[in-house]
Amino acid sequence: MGYYVCSMKLLLVEDQDELAVSIRNYFSKEGDICEVATSFSKATEKLYAFSYDVLLLDLMLPDGDGLSLLKVVKDNWSDMGVVIISAKNALNDKLHGLELGADDYLSKPFHLAELNARANAVYRRRKQEGRRTLSFKEIELTLDNHEALVHGTMLDLTRKEYELLHYFIVNQNRLLTKQAIAEHLWGDYMDTMDSFDFVYQHIKNLRKKIMKAGGNDYLKTVYGAGYKMKDE
Amino acid sequence: MNLIVRITILFVLVSLIVFLIGGVISFNVMMDEVNSEQERFLIERLDRMHTRIEKRPQKDTLKWTKLMVIPLAEYQVERVTFSDTLVVHSQLDRLEPHLKLDAIRNINGTSYQIILYDIIVEADDIKEGLTESLVTMYLILLGAVLVIGFLASYYILRPFNNTLDIIKSFSLTKPDAKVQFPSSNVIEFKRLNAFLKDMTDKVKSDYQSLKEFSENASHEIQTPIAIVQSKLEVLMDGDNLSEEQIQQLSFAQNTMKRLSHLSNALSLITKIDNREFVDVANIDLSMTLEQMLEEFKELIDLKSINKNINILASITVQADRVLIELMLTNLINNAIRHNWEGGELSISLASNHIEITNTGPKLEIPEEELFHRFKKSNQSAKSMGLGLAIVKKICDFYNYEIQYKNKDDFHTIHIRF
Repeated sequence: MGYYVCSMKLLLVEDQDELAVSIRNYFSKEGDICEVATSFSKATEKLYAFSYDVLLLDLMLPDGDGLSLLKVVKDNWSDMGVVIISAKNALNDKLHGLELGADDYLSKPFHLAELNARANAVYRRRKQEGRRTLSFKEIELTLDNHEALVHGTMLDLTRKEYELLHYFIVNQNRLLTKQAIAEHLWGDYMDTMDSFDFVYQHIKNLRKKIMKAGGNDYLKTVYGAGYKMKDE
Repeated sequence: MNLIVRITILFVLVSLIVFLIGGVISFNVMMDEVNSEQERFLIERLDRMHTRIEKRPQKDTLKWTKLMVIPLAEYQVERVTFSDTLVVHSQLDRLEPHLKLDAIRNINGTSYQIILYDIIVEADDIKEGLTESLVTMYLILLGAVLVIGFLASYYILRPFNNTLDIIKSFSLTKPDAKVQFPSSNVIEFKRLNAFLKDMTDKVKSDYQSLKEFSENASHEIQTPIAIVQSKLEVLMDGDNLSEEQIQQLSFAQNTMKRLSHLSNALSLITKIDNREFVDVANIDLSMTLEQMLEEFKELIDLKSINKNINILASITVQADRVLIELMLTNLINNAIRHNWEGGELSISLASNHIEITNTGPKLEIPEEELFHRFKKSNQSAKSMGLGLAIVKKICDFYNYEIQYKNKDDFHTIHIRF
């Protein structure tokens, strides 16, 4: 079982250069391939020339509407996953996007870890071959029935603990801030300081359960900021 | 009461008064005319009698029906007097009022007293006839007015009513629905329609640009925040950072998040103000609330809050799902956030109201400012003070009645649907 390696090929359609660079670097760091198109036409060019697993699509483009690009993609490459990233927090855009076949919708600003988790989820949902699992060292997640195994022993995790572990494995070796974790688990509305203690509680329980099943403690505390799953 | 009915009633009342006054005047004029005619008639007969006596002097008293001529022994001054009297009517055989002419005439040196009678046309008879004809005329007029009123409202006012219907169905939130007024050849209606068209077009374009502006403003704020957020995240993920530096970055990140939330909340309030939430669905409040409490369960447990939930099944409202969920989320979130460790939370939902009570510290702002924007009990807290302002907006939007009550440490928000 070694490191879980997942190499996605992503196309990011985003006209804000600086944001595009951050996203590309974030994905590249763990071996994913992320190419950037800054306009509708450049995106179309790339789509016809190469093949991608997941499309990260900004709705506001200088030369066209992201939703029409989404339609083009769904008409020609129906198996490509699409995550819409938009600063237009307009609900009808969201509904419309999902209706047109987008797999997910993330409004700006978002945590890069969250984007990574969403893109991964879409990628995995669409990848049909084989057992769909995620693993980190001796920890393994079966994605279809939401089970977590350590050395083959099933852990008794609550739904939130499973989600938390999943989030860590997808974003392994990266810092996850308490805020990013809280938002991932409870959504946007729970932006209270209370939820940070809450993150701590969940991590404490998760650690305990993994170690009880004979696993190592890979959840490192980064003081003042958050947590990082890494093998040291 | 519509315009035509109003005008008709006014017209009918005024014409009634005119008919009454007219009736009195006609009666008087007719009475005068009849009286003077009768007097003239009697004078004429007197003159004929005079001529007759001139030709054939009368020695004895002559007594015919309605006529008496008495030769007088001595001379008297000529005079003519009229008076009313009762005389037995020859045919009817009963006393009838008569006009009596009593005159003295000197003819060929002899004085005669000549008395003439004529049956009076009675005031009652005139009144009766007059009333009958006036009432008939009034009824005809009334009928005509009603018919004209109906026709007027149907044909003449039709373009006006059409315009009213169009205005009634006018909706700001349907941008593609064009307002098209029917053409009319009545100048007033033409002007009204032209004015309304200008106005609705202006309102529509203002609304559209306002909507676009708030959407763009939100977009333009969120984009740079997204860039900063991503840069901070990349920075934090780097190696060789001191704990102090990571803390600073984390703080900066939290602040950016707050800015983003603030912008979202303000844009949401603007959207409610712009009445952009027009999707109406039948929402099962009971179920929605149960689901929400399930989501909040962990947070409630973490604070060891005792909850007392009393939800009546299948309570529904007609509203936009997004707004209702937002309202409930904000209320529950508030009741947890401002609660004490180990405090109380009770939620009750009945057919026409919801009540959420929580324990918590005393308000530091006046009660009446609780629903104002940016008013928060604890100025340094991380909350923005927009939660209840949004709840209030939503309640106003749907005409729900929202109230805050406070008793000791218990704070209650009561919403009546």
